[in-house]
Amino acid sequence: MIEQLRVKAREILENKTVDLVIGYEMGTRGAVRPAFIRSPADVDRLVWNEGCTHNLVTYLRTKRVPAKRGAPPLRIGVVLKACDARALNILLHENQLPRTELYLMGVVCQGMQEPTRPQANSTSGLSLSGRMQLRCQACSDRVPVVYDVLFGDSSQQPTQAVTGQRQSELEMELQRLESMSTAERYAFWEAEFERCLRCYACRQACPACYCAECTAEQLDPEWVGIGITTPEKRFFHIMRAFHLAGRCVGCDECARVCPVGVRLDLLNAWMRREVQRTFGYQAGLDATAPAPLTTFRPDENLKL
Amino acid sequence: MNFVTHTQLREWLGGLMAERSVIAPQRLQPDLVVYRAVDSTDEIAFDFGRAALSPKEFFLPATEAILTIERVRQLIAGDDGEAQPDWQIRLTDHELTRDQVLFAIRPCDAHALTALDALLLKEPVDAYYARRRQRTSLIGLACAQMGPTCFCTSLGFTPDDRQGMDVMLYTVEGGYALEVLTEKGQAVTAGLQSTPYSERLPEREWPPAQISVPPRSVWLNAFNDPYWGELADRCLSCKICAYVCPTCRCFDVRDYTVAQAPGYQKIERLRCWDACMADGYRRIAGGHNPRPEKAQRLRNRFYCKFEYYPADFGPLACVGCGRCIDNCPVNVDITEVLDAVRARS
Repeated sequence: MIEQLRVKAREILENKTVDLVIGYEMGTRGAVRPAFIRSPADVDRLVWNEGCTHNLVTYLRTKRVPAKRGAPPLRIGVVLKACDARALNILLHENQLPRTELYLMGVVCQGMQEPTRPQANSTSGLSLSGRMQLRCQACSDRVPVVYDVLFGDSSQQPTQAVTGQRQSELEMELQRLESMSTAERYAFWEAEFERCLRCYACRQACPACYCAECTAEQLDPEWVGIGITTPEKRFFHIMRAFHLAGRCVGCDECARVCPVGVRLDLLNAWMRREVQRTFGYQAGLDATAPAPLTTFRPDENLKL
Repeated sequence: MNFVTHTQLREWLGGLMAERSVIAPQRLQPDLVVYRAVDSTDEIAFDFGRAALSPKEFFLPATEAILTIERVRQLIAGDDGEAQPDWQIRLTDHELTRDQVLFAIRPCDAHALTALDALLLKEPVDAYYARRRQRTSLIGLACAQMGPTCFCTSLGFTPDDRQGMDVMLYTVEGGYALEVLTEKGQAVTAGLQSTPYSERLPEREWPPAQISVPPRSVWLNAFNDPYWGELADRCLSCKICAYVCPTCRCFDVRDYTVAQAPGYQKIERLRCWDACMADGYRRIAGGHNPRPEKAQRLRNRFYCKFEYYPADFGPLACVGCGRCIDNCPVNVDITEVLDAVRARS
């Protein structure tokens, strides 16, 4: 499969369909990392495996900006998993990217594994934890909802993902949160937010967080001070969760990148479930469907 | 050198808590150990590799109120004997209330403090850092082995280095060998029960250097290399690397009105962590940003560590702890960067 992907990447770079291909490559210490390929000669760097967890949609908006002022924006070919494709739909829906300027290389996904800690420098080859990520256990989407070309066998069954018979661990964790008293749940989140370093890695990794100026860093008016204490961190995370409600597709990059393991995956899953229950809406399935929190329908009765 | 059992060590640490704040490694999650102020030795993780975060926050807190300005309305006697309102302004400096003991600091983190001293204790002295430094005793704990991302030996250090410590502990059969190195160390170990340790510490063969820091001339030539743009392609411009780094020390300062009551006003001056990776870090009045490109900011990180800081203050601003490697979500690996820069010569 990776060979076909490389052939296609070479082809679209050679025939100038795109200026840049964003995919995955092997990094150091057994890690996989995003790859930015500008020359057909470099396509052999591309890899595909269960460590390709990064959501590359995050890079699309900024990478379109040409190096030279006045030059046309770059056309980009990008490798997309099912979750990444949902994130792309959000950006298409919000008019952040022109569909015609992108070449979407969809891949059939068998679920991603939890990343391992980086290995010793001498390590060669891929290092995987062997544990399927929680989000992938709860996901049964193999094929991206949008693509120009698809790689992989879509008839293949998921390796470990839950297919509806039993509850995913993520759902069980949500239920555990729901069964808590308000005070217990508050204490849980306070402990999570207290650990936060306010490094903004969650926001930076998030494909849906693209504001030119984040409310958490705005100076005039200054909504949140520069303090790195629980009140500021709580405000930031709750605000971000609300800004993502109805837009978060559950790629869980925020939780993956967090250096202190703040459970942003749970926070966003909670909001996703609320949106699903209230509006019967799942973010990112369709780039044209009206988004529930930015659409006003006079006849709507939510029976809240 | 003396010998202490684990029980003696715990009793001593427990005793210290009465008068000092004891900062020690604490396991928050199976894979997450950080330094925290502890109230009981039960909270301490004695068995750990290298904490996920450096203990720099106890010298340079993530948020520190460095000054309080209060304006209080009081009634004073006027010329005619009548009570008149008057506004009084009070400035309060924030002092530590207790001495600190930092237990189980690793040699890399102690080297980082030595490196920070070169800047922050040099004139003009950073008073806030200086007094925390002065009121903190460092109880070092030698590493049993190097972690997968550690590269301290490449920078001329060893994982059992006692440099910069007040007291040094080495894990030995049945307990710890203990060495008191300074007067501060003597004072803090006054209540410690121990027996003489007559054996020699086993000589350790540490792994050899894996990488070498490129010489200055190479850095000067590599400044405009396209490599920095390629490296920055995947950088997310978050602040993880700087916030987990034991030597990154940049901050922002702002004044805040914290409480408003009739007849009372209070302003606090906060100093908080900031980092050169972030877009807004170098933005100046009028909106100009001298480092608007991600590649410029990422390049600055490495030039600061290996070129600017040693040129201006002496030591490297990197101790080989490997935390940035552990935590970068997109595999920006400082050892790979050093190799790449050296290959440009």
